[in-house]
Order: sequence, then C-alpha cells, then structure tokens
Amino acid sequence: MKASRSRAIQGIDQARPDDENPQRSARPASPRARLLLGVCLGLLALSATADGIEVAPPKTTDEAIDLQLAEAAADRHACLRCHAMSTLAYRNPENSDIVGLSLDREALAHSVHGELACIDCHRRSYRRYPHPDRPAPGDLDCIGCHEDEDQNLSRGWVDIDAEFKRSVHAVSDSPEAAGFSCHSCHDPHRFRPAAVGEPIAQIVRNHNEVCLSCHEKLVAPLNTSHDWLPNRDAHWASVRCVDCHTPAAVFANHDILPAEQSEKNCVSCHSSDPQLLARLYQFRSEDDIARRGLLAKAVFNEAYVVGLSKSPALDRLSLIIMGLVVLLLAAHGVGRYLARRANRRA
Amino acid sequence: MNAFAKTLLTPKNARRLLITVAVGLLVLFVLYKVVYPIAFDAYVGKSNAPLTYANSQPISEAELEAMATELSLSSRRAAAEAIVGQNDGAFARRVKVEMLMNTQSFMREHEPTHIKYFRDANILQYEGPKTCLQCHATIKVRHHDGRTSEVDTLDDIVNSVHFKFQSDGGGGFSTYGYDGRQVNAEGSRPIPVGKINRACGIPGSFSWTGWAALVESRPEATHGEVELRSEGCGQCHIGGNYQPATEKMMPIGDVPDVAKEGIDCLICHSTEYDMNQRYVIRDDVGLRWNQDRTMRAALTVGRSTTKNCLNCHQHNMGGDAYLHNEAAQALGDKNQRLLHTGAKRGNPFSPQDDVHAAAGLQCTDCHVPEGHKIPRGRMGVDLVANDLPNVEVSCTTCHTAAPHNRSEHKALLNGHLDRIACETCHIRELQENNVVLRDWVHPTWDAEEGIFTPTDIYRSGEVNKGFTFLWFNGNGTFLANALGNNPNGSTEYDPLMAQLARIDDPEIVAAVREKAIELKKTYPDIDVDAYVEAATDPLSQLTPEQLDKRRRMLDENLRAHMNDGESRIYPFKLFNAMMYEDMGNQGPFGAMILPFDYATYYETGDTTASVKQAIQDPIVQRMYQEPFKLYMMDEFMAYFGVSGGWKTHYPLVDGKLENVEPKWMRQMGSLMINHGIQPVGRDCVECHSPNGILNYRALGYSPERAAELENLDIVENLRPAASFSATDGG
Repeated sequence: MKASRSRAIQGIDQARPDDENPQRSARPASPRARLLLGVCLGLLALSATADGIEVAPPKTTDEAIDLQLAEAAADRHACLRCHAMSTLAYRNPENSDIVGLSLDREALAHSVHGELACIDCHRRSYRRYPHPDRPAPGDLDCIGCHEDEDQNLSRGWVDIDAEFKRSVHAVSDSPEAAGFSCHSCHDPHRFRPAAVGEPIAQIVRNHNEVCLSCHEKLVAPLNTSHDWLPNRDAHWASVRCVDCHTPAAVFANHDILPAEQSEKNCVSCHSSDPQLLARLYQFRSEDDIARRGLLAKAVFNEAYVVGLSKSPALDRLSLIIMGLVVLLLAAHGVGRYLARRANRRA
Repeated sequence: MNAFAKTLLTPKNARRLLITVAVGLLVLFVLYKVVYPIAFDAYVGKSNAPLTYANSQPISEAELEAMATELSLSSRRAAAEAIVGQNDGAFARRVKVEMLMNTQSFMREHEPTHIKYFRDANILQYEGPKTCLQCHATIKVRHHDGRTSEVDTLDDIVNSVHFKFQSDGGGGFSTYGYDGRQVNAEGSRPIPVGKINRACGIPGSFSWTGWAALVESRPEATHGEVELRSEGCGQCHIGGNYQPATEKMMPIGDVPDVAKEGIDCLICHSTEYDMNQRYVIRDDVGLRWNQDRTMRAALTVGRSTTKNCLNCHQHNMGGDAYLHNEAAQALGDKNQRLLHTGAKRGNPFSPQDDVHAAAGLQCTDCHVPEGHKIPRGRMGVDLVANDLPNVEVSCTTCHTAAPHNRSEHKALLNGHLDRIACETCHIRELQENNVVLRDWVHPTWDAEEGIFTPTDIYRSGEVNKGFTFLWFNGNGTFLANALGNNPNGSTEYDPLMAQLARIDDPEIVAAVREKAIELKKTYPDIDVDAYVEAATDPLSQLTPEQLDKRRRMLDENLRAHMNDGESRIYPFKLFNAMMYEDMGNQGPFGAMILPFDYATYYETGDTTASVKQAIQDPIVQRMYQEPFKLYMMDEFMAYFGVSGGWKTHYPLVDGKLENVEPKWMRQMGSLMINHGIQPVGRDCVECHSPNGILNYRALGYSPERAAELENLDIVENLRPAASFSATDGG
C-alpha cells in the first residue's frame, strides 16, 4: 500500500502542468496518470473506511488529489513541528557524537519525497510522541517502496539493488561500512535526482559531496591517494567520483569499485569516444548530446576535455600541413644545393 | 630654496636647528607630563595625593613565620577536609585529615605559594602595587586565539574595564544608539561610556559625584546617636583614589602614578582579603576607600577565585541583602558600608542557588581572562564597555549544542535551543527583593538604618513580574533595551512600545497603587492616579509629537538592528526608576538624568537639595560647558535619541533647579540574567498552555502559530503519564 500510494502521488506530480522539468512535462502523462488517479481514489476510499473516518465521497478526481495532498501536508506539518527544529539532536551515549534529528524544511519540500506523508515511510507508531527507539526491520527499506519497474529510471530498482550488493560498500568487512544502506548516501529527506540541464559543475559538486561526507580524509591537505592523477583538483571539480569508481564498461553507478579496480585509464575519458559522455553528460539535454562536431563538443560540454573534442578532419589537416612543411624544407634544401653547385661550376 | 637649504645646512645652523627641535620636544613633553595634569585636575576639580593606608605595616620576621604557619595550616586543613569523605566517624575523619595535612607532597601542593616567595625575598610589608610589581612587572598573556604576548602588568590593569570603567573603542560592541548608529563602532568618534542605565547606586553614570561618601545615619538602636556609614561606587571599583579614573575619559593623558599606587590588587587576588577593611576614610585631601593591605592578605595572594569576584559582584547579582552574600556579612571595622536592600538582578551565583557554583566552578572557568582583561561575552545590553568584545562566553562552549542527556525527551529539549536560550528554562525565578520600579524622588525613612532610602515601588522575583522574555540577538540600545526579533521577521513584535513600555498585569498595577497611597501619607502632593499611570505606562509622559517621533525612530533606526543575526528568547530583568531629569535635554526615549549627592540624600531625604549638591560638582558643571559638549555630549545625546545636540543650559540657576522634573524613564531597561542556573528546567506546560508564561502573540507569532504553540498535542499526550519536566541538567 505504501508503495502504490507514493507512486500515486508521483503520478499526480507528473500530471501537474506547471512542472519545472521541461523533459518530464513534455512527456505525455495522461493515460498513466489517469490510471494512477483511479488507484489513488480507490485507496482513499479504503483508508477512509479503515480509519473509520467519515469522508464525503469526493466528487471529482481533482478534489481527491487535493484532499490526499492536504492530508500528507498535514502529516508533514505535524512531524516538522519538532523535526524542523534545527537543534533537534542528542548525544549518542556510546561515543558522545551528536546525532542530528533535524530536517531542512526547504530541502524536504524540494526533494523527490517532498509530497509524501512522513508515515508513508515511517511506521504509523511514529505518529505519536514519544516514538519507538528504532524502526522495525525493513521499515525504511527503499526497495520495499521502489520494487517495481519505474519508468522514470533508466534501469530498474532491482538492478540498482543488485549493483549495490556487488559494490565495495556492501561487501567490505570494514567496520565503517557496517550497516551500509541506501540512506548512507541518499538522504531520503533531501534526495533529488539531478535534472537534465542543471550546470554540470553543480551536479559534480552535489554528487561528490555525498561521497566526501564519509570519505572526508581524501580532501585533507596532506592526503596522497589521488596524487597519481594529473591536475587532480581540476578533475575533482569537473568529474564525479563515481565516473571512475564504477565499472567503465557498463552503466552501473551503484556498483562502487574498490580503489584498486577503479578506472585509471586516461583514454577512457580522453578520447573522441569517451565514456564520460555516456555518464556525466547524460545530464545534458538530448539535443546537446546529439550535437556533433568540434565546436559543439567544445562549447556545449561546459568543460573542455582534452581528447573529447577530437576531430578527424582537423587531424588530417594537421598531417597535410606537416607534410607540406617537410616537403617545403626539402625543396628549399635541394634548391640551395643545386644553386651552389651551379655557382661553383661557373 | 637652494640657497636657503645651503645656509641651513652649514654646520653652525644645523646645530642650532637640532637644538631648537630638541628644546621644542622637551617643552612639549614637560607640558604634557607636568603642566597638562595640573591644568586638567584644576579643570575637572579633582586632586591627587600620595595614598597611605594604616594597615600597611611592616611586621617582624617572627611575626611572618607565625602568620605563615597559621595560614599554611588553615589552607591545608580546608583542602584536606574537602578530600576526606564524610563517611567516617568524627574522630577517624579528624585523624585522616591531620595525616593528609602533614603529608609532604600535600603540603607543597596546598600551602599558599607566596609564603615561600615573601620569606625568600624578605618582604615584610605590603605596599600595594609597588610590592607586586617587584616580581610581576610584566606578565605573559595567553589569548583566546592561541597567541601569547608579554604585557606590562600595570598598563594592562589600568586600561581594563575594572579600573577605568570603559574600554577602548572599536569593534565588537553590541550597543546601538536610538539614532541607529552602533556606539563607538569602528570609524566613529569614540566617546567614553561604560555602563548603561545603571540600576545601582546613583542613577546615571556619575561615579564622580558618588565615588565615596560618609553618611551620618541615625539608627533606632543608637537612640539618636550619629553613626557614620560608607557609601559609593568606589567600594567596588579597584582604584583607591579620591575619584574614578577621570583622566582616562580624555583622549590624552594618563592616571597619575600616585593614583595607580592606589590600585587594590588583593581584593581580586587574595583569598584572605578582609572586606571589613573596605570602608570610606577621610584624609586631608578628601574621601576615599580604604583597603586591606595587611601582610596576612598579601601572603595568600594567588589567582582570582570565585570568592574574590563575589567580593563585589554578588552585590549586582544576588544583591546586598542576599542570604549567602559573604562580602555583605563583613561591612567594615568602622564606617560600615550601607547595604542596598533592593537587588539589581536578584540572580545570585552561590552554591545554594547556582548549579555551576555548587559544582565548584570558578568564575574564570567561563569568563576566561586574558591577562587582566576579562570577557563578558558577545551578548549584553547594559554595558557598552567590553575588554574582549570578540571572546565568546556561552553555555554551549562546555555543554555542546546537545546539552540534555538524561531526560527521555532529550532530543526534543535540545530542539528548543535554536529559539530558546538556556536561561529561559533554567532560571526559574529571581530573588524576591529584585527591584522593578524604584522611586528616587520620594524617599522613605529607614528607621533601622537611620537613613532615607529610595522607595522601591515594586519588587518581585516572579516570572513576568520581575522579569520577562524578549527576543535577543546580542544587540542592545543605549538605554539597555534588548534588541532582537522573531525569526519569522515579525513586524508586530515591538518591545519598546509594548513589553518594555507598559505594565498591564493588574497585580502589579494594584501593588503600585497601594505603594503610591502609602507614599501619599508622607508626600501629600502625590496624585495617586497620575502616579500609577506614569509608573506603569511611562509613555504617557510623552506628548503625541514625541510619541510619533519615537514610533518613527524605532521603525527607521532600530528595526534593522532587531532583525540582525539570530535571535533567541532570553529572560530579562526589568527595571525603571523615577529620577530628576534635565528637561532641556529630552527626547522620545528619556531625558538626561541628574545625580544625587549621597550624604544629603540619605541624611535629609531632601531630594532636590541632594540634586543641587551633586550637580555643583565641577565635573557636572564642565559637562554643561562648550568643550565637553563638543568633545562628547553631542555624540552622547545623538545615541540617546535626542536630536539637536547637547543643550548646555546648566540646570542650577541662583540656587534653584531650572527646567528639572521628576520623571520615569520612557521605557524599562532590560538587564540580562545569566546566573542562578537551576539544574532542573521548566516544565513544558509552563510555556505550552493557553496561560503559559510566554505570550506568543506579543512575541510576534501569528495567531495560528501562537494557538498551536499553546495547545501542543505532544504535551497534552504526555501530561497524564508523568509531567514532562525538563529534569535534565546535562
């Protein structure tokens, strides 16, 4: 029920005409959205009877959506009365670390989960204060909600789950990786996938912040781990960690590789057929990616990548010029030799 | 030009030039060092002379040894008793204490350190700073940012707030004039200001007129016999001179060396300092404060402890009448100090009433000194002077951002920190003698002490009576009003027109009325209704034009500073007083207040005579002259919210007060309270209920939000079980 309800709201979201995302809004939303609205209506009736609340049967689908959104908003409001307090925190008695329980109201509103009710993910017992000490097992499992094929994604949740299970985060026996879950990287209260058209540098910064929130030692002044990389800081500013730390051949950016297996081959990116295009530049609009030619690659990539804008025509032209220069030099030499010989004879 | 330079550079002329310049500099130096001080003293009517103290006597070596043995024993005994547990029987405990006391390492650790130094250096007389500076001419100072530096000890102390009452201008000050300018901000012309809206001693910053006074009291017990009593600002300020550090008010000049010799090092540094030596004495030059300069006090010198600070500061925190004010138990061997029965804050620091004092914390644990400069933190409304404006003094330094650890509701309690200051919950009440409204104009005869004292119209230590809650971002006004605003950017929150300008509580109004009726018996001219109105609604003393101007100034000049930074709700002690004001220098926030002469006031109760006496002091006369107007008073008045500059019309003409009226200041001052911290904070329902102690609407919350905060289901849910009290001291 949780899953379908949240999907229902996603559907509603897509149906809204004032959506900011041009690609999404361009998509024909009507048949699927209508189906989802039906589901949502049914659910509403179900939940009303289940809770024993008398609700007048909604007359139109719009009203139903509004009602459901309002219900979720009321639920969020109730939780945020405390959880929006920026200092809501306690000190973990085991290590004295401060554990923050506060949510950023704005970030939540703009996240993918921004229109859900809190209790969609958190058990109903969280509705009242005081809350249980810890969630029940499986309570906050993303796959529990996101199990089905979701056409928003280039590949299924099941694939992501499989990738994750292969990743160093899942298989490592380091104590720091104990209990690693989706939430370790993706804060469900602020998670928002990068949208096509956002500035690449911003996307890179946001992505890398997630990694560096744990791997903060990597950016410490005396750390030498990435010293092999030429122009290290330039790379860090314009390439995502996952671009090198996931298998280069397949698109599986949850399969984080251990350091020794990560990409170290410069040509993977610095060539005219770069994998970077397939990964990082997926955030460019399709039009931009489709552009061909020297200027298009150099200008529309937002960052000039050595090798990426390689042009065969230019290569050929250079070769011809070089050949011509050699020929010219040779002709000049021969000319002088001949002239000198003629002079001597005279 | 060339020819001129050539003549000038001939050896003979060059020598002449050199000599002229040298003589010129010498003359300037002599003028500055010799003539200027004499001229300055004549100008401000003050005099200096070498200071002598009767108790600064040489002792013999045998006496030193006897004293050393006694002091060593008592200090070791106190230390041992603190360590040996109470569990044993009395006899076993005594044996253990004595064993410990006589253990070699313990003796080394707990004997007053200076016994050995004085013995080795053969110091047999304590002569004030001179003696200390023999070894401590310079000290190493560790700064808050980790720097260390070496400073001249005497300079360091002479330029501290404790000595000169002001600090050098520039940066960090949080006080704003009603004209919207930050007081003594960098780039402005600094003027000498220290405290603001003084609730103690003499109203107004007139430490000159009330530095030291001998009052002839006629207590009941002596049946008309006159008993001399001591009074004045000098009892707490460390200079031992005939007046405060007047020279430091000026851009040039320094306190004379003879005055520096009067600095009382031991009141802050000696554990055996005898407050019974602190009383006013009269010599050929005038009145000044005596101090303890005995060898006994000198032998126990060391780092300042809480006891040292409280010699003076319990007076402004717990109050003179506070039960555990130790200094107030030692009023003087003669000319005993007068106690102020109404408390300035009623917010004591003592093991009985403060959790930190009970835990044995020293004042300097939070107020970490850098040399002789002591930080007061970045927040404060009633003090412009700040020796270390950039040094933080705050609860979170020790308690972290998540201070509650024991309670089941710790996270929720910690959640409040963003909006609520710790003090709001952890100071539950003030001492009941906390003064809110004080009438200086209609004194009351105190038969027991045999003096006339100002009449406290209203005293209370209760919440929303003696103190209330205001948004505060660390900024204050020139008359000590806390500035801040609801983070929602409210335009409704308006403390200078509401919380600080009007008393609506019917209980308080009734109490004021009762007191007014009582006063009318002595002062038949009092119109009770008018009196109550002026005391509880001080804005009623303003004309409509003045009110308009006030409204405009608040919106245009102060609103922006209210919205600065991050505000939290803090408790503030409220205070207002009726005093004589110079109506020629009036603005929408009040007029220049005039000082009282202590002796006249206490002895006769004739308040106008007392004012006349006080304003004849040369320094007040100078204040009403052009040089002072240009030097500081114009600027002062601008900060005060009075436009058009300082009017130099001296209010005493032919022995009559002219254009002087008794008035209540046009709003209450709000004094920060930060001590008297209770381990158990307030209960949720004290704030989160319809009649809670926080008036959410007045604090700028929307009606919907206010209703929500008053009726929280969370609190409701918890109530039947156990009351959701903040039983957590962290």
